[in-house]
Amino acid sequence: MNRGRTIMIERQNRRQRALVITLVVICVLLVTVYSRESKDGLFHRLQRLSLDIISPLQKGMSKVLSPVKDGIGFVVDLGKARGERDRLREEFRDMQGRVDELEALRLENEELKSMIAVKENNPGFEFLVVDVIGANPDIWEQTIQIGAGYSDGLREYMAVLSEDGSLAGRIILCTSEASVVQLITDEKSSVGAKLQTNGELGVLRGEGRNGVRLELLNQDAEVKTGDLVVTSGLGGTCPAGLPVGNITEISERRADLSVGIVIEPRARLTRLNRVMVVVSPPPRTAPIEAAGRR
Amino acid sequence: MHRRLTFFVVLVLALLVQLTVAPEIGVGSVRPDVLLVATVCWALFEGPGQGALFGFFGGLLEDVFSTAVLGVGAFAKTIIGYFSGELRQRIVSKSVAWPMAIVFFASILHELVKFATWAMVGLEDRPPFSFGIIAGLALYNALLTLAIYPVIGRFALGEERSLMFQ
Repeated sequence: MNRGRTIMIERQNRRQRALVITLVVICVLLVTVYSRESKDGLFHRLQRLSLDIISPLQKGMSKVLSPVKDGIGFVVDLGKARGERDRLREEFRDMQGRVDELEALRLENEELKSMIAVKENNPGFEFLVVDVIGANPDIWEQTIQIGAGYSDGLREYMAVLSEDGSLAGRIILCTSEASVVQLITDEKSSVGAKLQTNGELGVLRGEGRNGVRLELLNQDAEVKTGDLVVTSGLGGTCPAGLPVGNITEISERRADLSVGIVIEPRARLTRLNRVMVVVSPPPRTAPIEAAGRR
Repeated sequence: MHRRLTFFVVLVLALLVQLTVAPEIGVGSVRPDVLLVATVCWALFEGPGQGALFGFFGGLLEDVFSTAVLGVGAFAKTIIGYFSGELRQRIVSKSVAWPMAIVFFASILHELVKFATWAMVGLEDRPPFSFGIIAGLALYNALLTLAIYPVIGRFALGEERSLMFQ
């Protein structure tokens, strides 16, 4: 009984193997014939015909199943969206960095253009463009450090201009590689100046963080807000005619009968990146010490 | 007669789903191979001979209704159908995890056989091999087994019951 069953199973297995081998041989023949026949061959035409038959059904089903497709797409897109978000964030950071870099280059370009214009407008002067390398940490000292010194041809008391050609201060200390510039707002700073409108002479004195004050020699001189104040050249440190700033406030006469005239410096003293040092003509004398100052 | 009819109905249904529904439920570039899942499930219920036959006709029809090299799909599915049927005698558990695992590995083997055949035929414009896509397809097919295996089981067992009543 068992032997009979075993023989039956054996036969069945043999039949199945024979069937598979037959099917595989048919497949190999099909592949061979299909690969060798031309595009207009029997099997190729059969495929085209089949596609023509099935395509209307596929179109219909595609319409019916479009909500399902959209649903799957939505779920898949959610996953993709997260990756996309991270990628875009990274890209945004890179772009922001490039924008900042370009902005810095634009500002530098503007600054250099402005300096070239100053040079062209003052053919009698010789300038040296120097980077600002630091500021004095002491809040009572309105000074900055620049990256050039004796070895670059700089000397004490040379006038220092901002990128637009306005007076920013003068060198008060020079080492071989760096210099300290006293800004016109420093309380120890005093510069000979005059009103551009009528040539009335005076002295500019620093007021610390409050700006600059002009003390006119002629107390009855005509003066009004908005007037431009320029260097007078007197005192021998700053060349004449350099713009300093505009009058913003004229106060009542004080006890010493002087008029309080407040100047807003044109130079952006708190945002100096690069300055122009007037190398020629060189300063002739030492500056006048601001009287009564610390 | 009933057996052949059931075979034909399951085959045509699987083919129609493969041609119309499968392209619509793809995830990314992975579209499920319903015919392959049906071949493995049919072989697990009916044995290696029936599995090979189902794979052959399913693959052949799929090739006819596509622009693929005729015979390659039939060849790959015949092999898969036969070996899946052979596994039936070695698995005693009725858990659906087994068919899922078999479909998973069968899907990988199926794609490898197809790529190997394309290479042997010297097909020039064959798709670039991507194991990621193959793994995704195997996973999708394995998940689809959860839905297809009971349906084919019902067809196969229903047929057995009707034979018993005859």
